[in-house]
Amino acid sequence: MTTLEIPHVGRFDVELWESGSGDPLLYLHGYERHPGGAGFLERLAQSRRVLAPEQPGYGRSTGFESFTDVLDVTLYHRELVESWGIERIDVVGHSLGGMFAAELAAVAPQLVRKLVLVNAYGLWLDDQPTLDPFGPADEVKKAKWHGEPPKSEPTNFVPDPDNPHAAILFAAQNLGSATKFMWPIADRGLRRRLPLIDAPTLVVHGTSDGLLPLSYAEEFVRLIPDATLVPIEAAGHYPMIEQEDAFVSAVTTFLEA
Amino acid sequence: MKYHWFAEATYDGLPETYPQKHPSGSVDVPASLVDSLHVGAHYRMFIRLMQQADRLGWDGLAVNEHHQTTFAMTPSPNLLAASLASSTENAALLVIGNSLALYNPPVRVAEEMAYLDCLSEGRLIAGFVFGTPMDTAFAYGVPPAELRARFHEARELITRAWTEPEPFAFNGTYTKLRYVNVLPRPVQTPPPIWVPGTGSVETWDLVLDEDYCYGYLSFFGLANARPIVRGFWDRVEQRGLDVNPNRMAFTQIICVADTEAEAERRYGDAVRYFFTRQRAPLHFAAPPGYTSIASQREMLERARGVSTEDRLRATRGELSFWEYDDLGFIIAGTPERVRQRLRELAVELRVGQLITCMHMGDLPEETAAMNNELFGLQVAPHLRDLWADHEDPWTPSVSKARVAANAAAVPVPTR
Repeated sequence: MTTLEIPHVGRFDVELWESGSGDPLLYLHGYERHPGGAGFLERLAQSRRVLAPEQPGYGRSTGFESFTDVLDVTLYHRELVESWGIERIDVVGHSLGGMFAAELAAVAPQLVRKLVLVNAYGLWLDDQPTLDPFGPADEVKKAKWHGEPPKSEPTNFVPDPDNPHAAILFAAQNLGSATKFMWPIADRGLRRRLPLIDAPTLVVHGTSDGLLPLSYAEEFVRLIPDATLVPIEAAGHYPMIEQEDAFVSAVTTFLEA
Repeated sequence: MKYHWFAEATYDGLPETYPQKHPSGSVDVPASLVDSLHVGAHYRMFIRLMQQADRLGWDGLAVNEHHQTTFAMTPSPNLLAASLASSTENAALLVIGNSLALYNPPVRVAEEMAYLDCLSEGRLIAGFVFGTPMDTAFAYGVPPAELRARFHEARELITRAWTEPEPFAFNGTYTKLRYVNVLPRPVQTPPPIWVPGTGSVETWDLVLDEDYCYGYLSFFGLANARPIVRGFWDRVEQRGLDVNPNRMAFTQIICVADTEAEAERRYGDAVRYFFTRQRAPLHFAAPPGYTSIASQREMLERARGVSTEDRLRATRGELSFWEYDDLGFIIAGTPERVRQRLRELAVELRVGQLITCMHMGDLPEETAAMNNELFGLQVAPHLRDLWADHEDPWTPSVSKARVAANAAAVPVPTR
């Protein structure tokens, strides 16, 4: 747990998954939940210091009510990184975390050395309307994965033997917080800010993502001045899970280049 | 006890295959199912039935707001209330309510409700509602995570707009206005305010803090309401407030006829239609963030008065007419039976404001008119004594006086 107090904004008690040493890397998780100590994070942490905070409003991380809009979240991330005494950091953002990562890179370019967006939200294409990420659970589950959904999805959820409803409430709280930035359409104006990103950017995209077609990744690449697309085949919304090797290799190669 | 006439303005021309072919009666229901001229005729029917209720002595005429649904085709209850304000004399206009988070800027609500209060000479009851998930999150696209904050900000703005004598500036998170100076102002300063809820402690505390009337508006009767209503009264007592039955409103579907056999014959199909055409799939009914985590925890832990299975059977149309009645989803039968059961319900739940659903589903107008007449003349007068010794600041003084002067009394004149 790490605590951040931003004057006139609020206090944030944030769950922080941290591992490894070396150059710092900020990982911002997707709209569903923090992945916990998932394999891809452990592997990234073999060569660098990975800091993966749980977003306020998710799980045990507090302070969500202090956010009025996405600019608040962006400034919160800036303050969070600076509170660690870090002046420059690589940022990997997945899904909703991709939207936040891109915002940070546009608003605080001095802070972001390199940017990786993974199946990122934040854009809307009229001719490619996307599936509602809050739609029927079975439909969303099917859309998210290229292959069979895994038995248990990556999560930082810890079952509570005293609370039989803990899992339901955990999911409801996480997704409820996501609605602030993704409901009814996950577009909070990022399109206008993407051209202001200075950081070299890698856009990684699981090509079978039924929630976000590849055209969304292509649009990110078109709008960000220095961006490269790495499609990952046989992967959906979670390429870091379905194709962990390809994902870690693409990210590491880009960050170390 | 007071009575408020109500009906969901359900579209009555839906095919028999409707629940099977179209999983949802809201949000994405095919518009081709609905004939606009027929809807117009339907609106006129509801207006006639409410005018009749006004003549028969109902204390209030209730109208509600829903969007993109065949279950209740009243996207703006204020429009229906406006028709009633100029064509009724006595009853309160219970607008229950406006979904505050959907009006931008929310002074629109303050203006329209003030218009209604002016036109009706001070007969408005202002209902403030969150709105269903289908209405708010889907039809109007409000992020569930913001719904409550938007509602409360709007509520503050509207009540200030009705009561502050001078123009004021309002710097909210969602609404910013340099000059708030609503015209006209309502006749009542302010009108009584009712807020319906689904049993969350947050809403109980809101209505008790602000001295609003609380409504538990379910169509699942006494047994279902018991744990929630008990919780409300416990809360009132805990907070040391007056357990005045008039601070609580409750909905009940009512089917009166001269005999029980006739009740079944005349209302059976309509009751089944009503319950089977209001289905909503889970992802529409319970989007994430709509219910606060605290409320969700309460709901998961609270004992259920009616089993989920019985509710499902009701909405699948698997209950017989008298099973609906046994479970309390409807109260049906002769005037004697209906008044006996209503008295039991009102005494047990301590309800002072009964919202009587006199039309349901695809009920023909003549049956609804009969329901009105039997209830108005042979049921209502017999329960007037209940809670009569309690103050009722939640009903407009004008409608109270006019209804008292005009409503039928016991003994009832023969028809």
